[in-house]
Amino acid sequence: MRLTVDGVEHELARPGLATLLHVLREELAVTGPKAGCQQGSCGACTVLVDGAPRRSCLLPAAALDGAEVATVEGLGAAEHLSPLQAAFLEHHGFQCGFCTPGFLVAAHALLERSPAPSRREIEAALGGHTCRCTGYLGIVEAVEAAAEAGGAAR
Amino acid sequence: MRVVGASLPRYDGVAHVTGRSRFVDDVRVPRMLWAKALRSPLHHATLTRLDTSKAAGMKGVHAIVTWQDVPRLVYGPLSGRGVPGDEPLLAKGEVRYEGEPIALVAAEDEATAAEAVEAIDVEYQELPALFDLRLAADPGAPVIHEWGNWYPHFEAEMDVRRIRRGDIAWAFDRADTIVAGVYRPGAVEHAPLEPQVALAVPEADGRLTIHSCTQSLDFSMSVVAAHLELPLNRIRFVGGTVGGGFGGKVDTAADTICALAAIKASRPVKWRWTREEEFLCSSTRAAWHMEIADAVTRDGWILGRRMLTLHDSGAYTRVSPYGVTKHSFHHTGAYTIPNLHFDAYIVYTNRSPTTSMRGYGATSVSFATELHLSRIAEVLGLDPFELRLKNANRVGDTSPNGIAYTDPSTVPTILEIARAIGHELPAEYRAMTAEPRSGDLLPEHLVEQLGVVRR
Repeated sequence: MRLTVDGVEHELARPGLATLLHVLREELAVTGPKAGCQQGSCGACTVLVDGAPRRSCLLPAAALDGAEVATVEGLGAAEHLSPLQAAFLEHHGFQCGFCTPGFLVAAHALLERSPAPSRREIEAALGGHTCRCTGYLGIVEAVEAAAEAGGAAR
Repeated sequence: MRVVGASLPRYDGVAHVTGRSRFVDDVRVPRMLWAKALRSPLHHATLTRLDTSKAAGMKGVHAIVTWQDVPRLVYGPLSGRGVPGDEPLLAKGEVRYEGEPIALVAAEDEATAAEAVEAIDVEYQELPALFDLRLAADPGAPVIHEWGNWYPHFEAEMDVRRIRRGDIAWAFDRADTIVAGVYRPGAVEHAPLEPQVALAVPEADGRLTIHSCTQSLDFSMSVVAAHLELPLNRIRFVGGTVGGGFGGKVDTAADTICALAAIKASRPVKWRWTREEEFLCSSTRAAWHMEIADAVTRDGWILGRRMLTLHDSGAYTRVSPYGVTKHSFHHTGAYTIPNLHFDAYIVYTNRSPTTSMRGYGATSVSFATELHLSRIAEVLGLDPFELRLKNANRVGDTSPNGIAYTDPSTVPTILEIARAIGHELPAEYRAMTAEPRSGDLLPEHLVEQLGVVRR
């Protein structure tokens, strides 16, 4: 099967019942998405599949032949952060950083869809993501700041 | 002075927002095996049979470790400070909490390791379990350790952490009212987003590299070295990038057993706990049982406190003596009480061992004290802010363990809260500071008493 990850096309042997998260992390060494709960509840493994945020720990990779997957690693490089990444840095949108890849990807999808979201929209879009270091306020403020600074644009 | 007082970007911030931070689970090494644990399905049981031979012969299985493989089976994280260890690295003969590790399998992948765990021949004889620390001293209570159900090794081999100050009988004689309350905060799971995970790599030169999510590298290093009976210079710890810990990753939960399996297999081994394991058997914040009786005057001075604390240590001691000692030092909260009679016991139950979590030992008593002060105010019909301000820590007051406060923040904090929420206070309270109490705010009997206990 074929899978495009952060713009790079991969040919994969049949992945059986492996999840997308497993394929990304263990086969392609794309470790940005995290294995936090592996049961779809924490959001740390979130990636975009054809533009929509999905929990990669619940998705059978075999069902994604030809899909375009975007992870946190494709949002922007260290030398050229996206407005959203820069805003997370500026507004302390993380502490330990383990949930951050999922939050960034979900917020990115929100800004693509709705460039000037209300606070309520932001909270709804990030509602399924858990941060245990209690950084929610900083995260929401970061998304608001990124929207003002030009949205998700890379 | 480019740095002092400046707001600096985090050194790890760019890595976090680009997904490039390397947590332990992100580290990959060649020839790496995966591990899965056999854990006790029962809260309390005798292990009547443990045979790993069939599982060890399965295709893809490289090593299985049990208690028989551990050079030094029992070691406590505070052993270096005189607290005897009581927890085996892997269960031997008896399991004392659900999820207690019995064996670790290292195999080509997680699925194979899990199959081998299922194939281990193990039998249990269930024993009655103890979950409520209030019942630990009852005749007929399940016995958790051979020396009993509470920790016996405080100073001078006392079984209690004890504080006595002033003249508690005087305080209770002199009081207008005794206000009593019982406070029981429950256990809390830290639930960091990153579960426990370790990667142990036996190096060609005989050394051992451990990629660890510990919150304390040197602490965990000494624990691993002690169990494996290795000199420290044979072990290299790599860590510092921790996906949330909150105190729960002070315990060396995965590193040692993983290292043991790696040595036996002569291969790198990674052991990543599932979320279910985290909730089932990672250490938690302790449940506490606190009984407080305060001797108070009708105008709101707290003359004395009698307090009994029971700390739920879970099945083993781990760092509980540290937490309970800190609890005892803080047992009056942010307030000064001149006469004290305090006893605390570390009680064992058949629950997951407990450990540090954000303000270890002190948050429980802050919770109890704040509720209790509000209760006193209600009983006496006094303003809860005024009651707190009267009894607040001041410069020169001493903590229950005798440390003099140099900059206590209780008074300014309470005044700021009152101001922020528009709670009106009389002028003499608004004028209070953290400076030592002046005579006009002290009733005569307290002057006399404080004079006695301060010197």
